[in-house]
Amino acid sequence: MKRTVMTVLKQWAAVAVAAAAMIALPAAAQAALTCQVNPTKVPITLSYHGAKLTISGQSALNDELVLKISTPPKDAAMKYKGKAAGLFWMKKGTMEFKGVPQVYLVSSTAKLNLILSDAERQQYQLGYDAMGNAVKVEDSKGQPVERKWFDEFIRFKEKEMVYNIQEGTITRKHGENGNAFEVVMDWPYQAAPGVYNVEVFAVNGGKVVDKAATTFEVERTGLIAALSKMAVDQAALYGIMAVAIAMMAGFAVGVIFKKGGGSH
Amino acid sequence: MYMYLPIALTSVNYLVVVGLGLAVGLLSGLFGVGGGFLMTPLLMMIGIPPTIAAATDANQIVAASASGCFSHWRLGNVDIKMGLLLTLGGFAGGAVGVQVIKALLAAGGADFLIKMTYVVMLGVVGIFMFFESLSALKKQKAGTTKEHHAPKAEKKGGFFASLPMQTHFEKSGVTHSALVPLVLGVFVGVLAAIMGVGGGFIMVPVMIYMLRMPMHVVVGTGLFQVLFTCIEVTILQAYSNHTVDFFLALLLLIGSVFGAQIGTALGKKLHGDQLKILLAIIVLVVTVKIVLELVLEPSILLSYAGGH
Repeated sequence: MKRTVMTVLKQWAAVAVAAAAMIALPAAAQAALTCQVNPTKVPITLSYHGAKLTISGQSALNDELVLKISTPPKDAAMKYKGKAAGLFWMKKGTMEFKGVPQVYLVSSTAKLNLILSDAERQQYQLGYDAMGNAVKVEDSKGQPVERKWFDEFIRFKEKEMVYNIQEGTITRKHGENGNAFEVVMDWPYQAAPGVYNVEVFAVNGGKVVDKAATTFEVERTGLIAALSKMAVDQAALYGIMAVAIAMMAGFAVGVIFKKGGGSH
Repeated sequence: MYMYLPIALTSVNYLVVVGLGLAVGLLSGLFGVGGGFLMTPLLMMIGIPPTIAAATDANQIVAASASGCFSHWRLGNVDIKMGLLLTLGGFAGGAVGVQVIKALLAAGGADFLIKMTYVVMLGVVGIFMFFESLSALKKQKAGTTKEHHAPKAEKKGGFFASLPMQTHFEKSGVTHSALVPLVLGVFVGVLAAIMGVGGGFIMVPVMIYMLRMPMHVVVGTGLFQVLFTCIEVTILQAYSNHTVDFFLALLLLIGSVFGAQIGTALGKKLHGDQLKILLAIIVLVVTVKIVLELVLEPSILLSYAGGH
C-alpha cells in the first residue's frame, strides 16, 4: 500500500515536471530578453566630447522594445524666473523638483502610448507624463506649483541634452528564434560622471512581459580625475597653484614681448 | 578641437575659448579693466555654469593683468602707492559687500538689487564717460586743449585738501589725502562684491574723474589693482567653493596674455580721450544688453540653483 502511494506520487511528480517543461519550452525557444552595453566604462579623458554607446541584445519575436537609460531619482533645486514689478524678468526664488533623474534617455520600437497601458508606463516610469505624475514640484515654502514648471524642467533638461525620448528608433534584425536589437547612441558629454542604469523592457499586449538590465559607468581618468580630486581634497593648494601658474604665464609673455617687440 | 573641463564638467571647443581670451585680454590691456563684466556672460553662453564662469574668469584675469601690468610698469605707468591704497580699500569693501549680499540673499530680493546696481552703475559710468570724452575730443580738434586734466587738478581743494595725511603721488602727479583712495577703494569694493565682478570698470572712472590721474597711469594702476583683487578672489573661490576650473582658465589665459600685450601696444597709439570713449561705448553696449535681458522674456525660465 505504501509502495503504491509512493509510485502514484512519483508519477504525479513526473507529470508535473513534464508539464512545467512544456510550458517553459516556447519561452525557451524564443530567446529571452538580454541586454549588453558597450563600452561598460566610458573614460573621461582630456579630449572627451561624449561617446558612442551601443546597447544590444536579443528579444522575443513579437515583442515591442523600450530602452531607458537613467539615474535613480533625486531632488533637484532650481532657480526660477518671473516678472518683478510687472516689467523685469528676475530670478524670483527656488523650486524643489522631488524625485527627478539627472539623466533620462528613452528610445523604443514604437510610440509608447500605443504599445503600453497608462498603468504600465506609470509603473516603469516610461514617458514624461509618467514621470510628471511621480514627481513633486514645490516652491520654497513647500507649496505645490503649477504643472507648467515641470514641462519647463523637461525643456531645460532636453536643452542640456540629458533628457530625450525617441520613439520608433530601435531597429531589429529578425532571426529564427527571436530578434537581435541594437541601439547606437551619442552619449551626451553634458551627462556628469557616474553610474547609469540601462533597462530594456519587452512589451506585449500593452504590458511589460520581460525586463533586462545592466549598468555602465562614466568616469574621470588621468589628468581630469587628478585635477578634480585636487580641487576638492587640496583646495588651498589648488587655488595657489592656479594663481601662481597664471602669474608666471602673464609675466613670461610680458618678458617675451619685451624681447620680441622692443620698438614699442 | 575639444577639451573636457574637470570642474565645469562640460566639453568646450578650445579654439573658441582661446579666442575669447584673446579678445577680452586685448580690452584689458587697452583699458586697464579685468573684463569680467564681458567674460562671465560670454562663458555662460558657451555652457559654463555661472558660478564657475565667474570664479575661473578671476583666475584668468590674474594672468592677463600680470602680463599687462608688467608692460605698463616698464612704461612707467603704474602708480604703486596709489594702487596699494586702492587695493587695500577694495579688500575691506569686498568683505563688507559679501556680507551685504549674504543678508540680502537671506531676506530675498538680492537678484533685483544686483541687477539694478549693475544697470545703474554701468549706465551712469558709460554715459558720463562718453559725453566727457566726446567734449574733450571736440575741444582737442578745435586745438584748445593741452593735457585737459591739468587745469581741473587745481580746482580741487576745500574738503579734499583739508583731509589729513596729504600725500604726493609722483607717478600720477597728484596730491591727495591717503584716505581718499582708501575710501574710494572701499566704495568700489562694496559695489564689486555686490555685482560679483572685479570692479575695474568702476575703478577706472574713479581714478580718472575723482583722483584726477592721467589716463595712461590709470590703465597701469588699474591693472595693478585688478591683479591683486583677482589673486584674492581666485584663492578664496578655489578654497571655499571649488569653482575654479584650472583647464578653462589655462585656455583663456593663453589667449588673454597675448591679447593684453596687443592691447597695451595699441593703447600707446591712442589718445587718452579716444581710449575713454571706446571704453564708454563698450560699457554702454553691455548696459543695453543687460536691460534687454531684463525686459525680454527668457527662453528658459529655470536654471540650476547656486550662486547669483
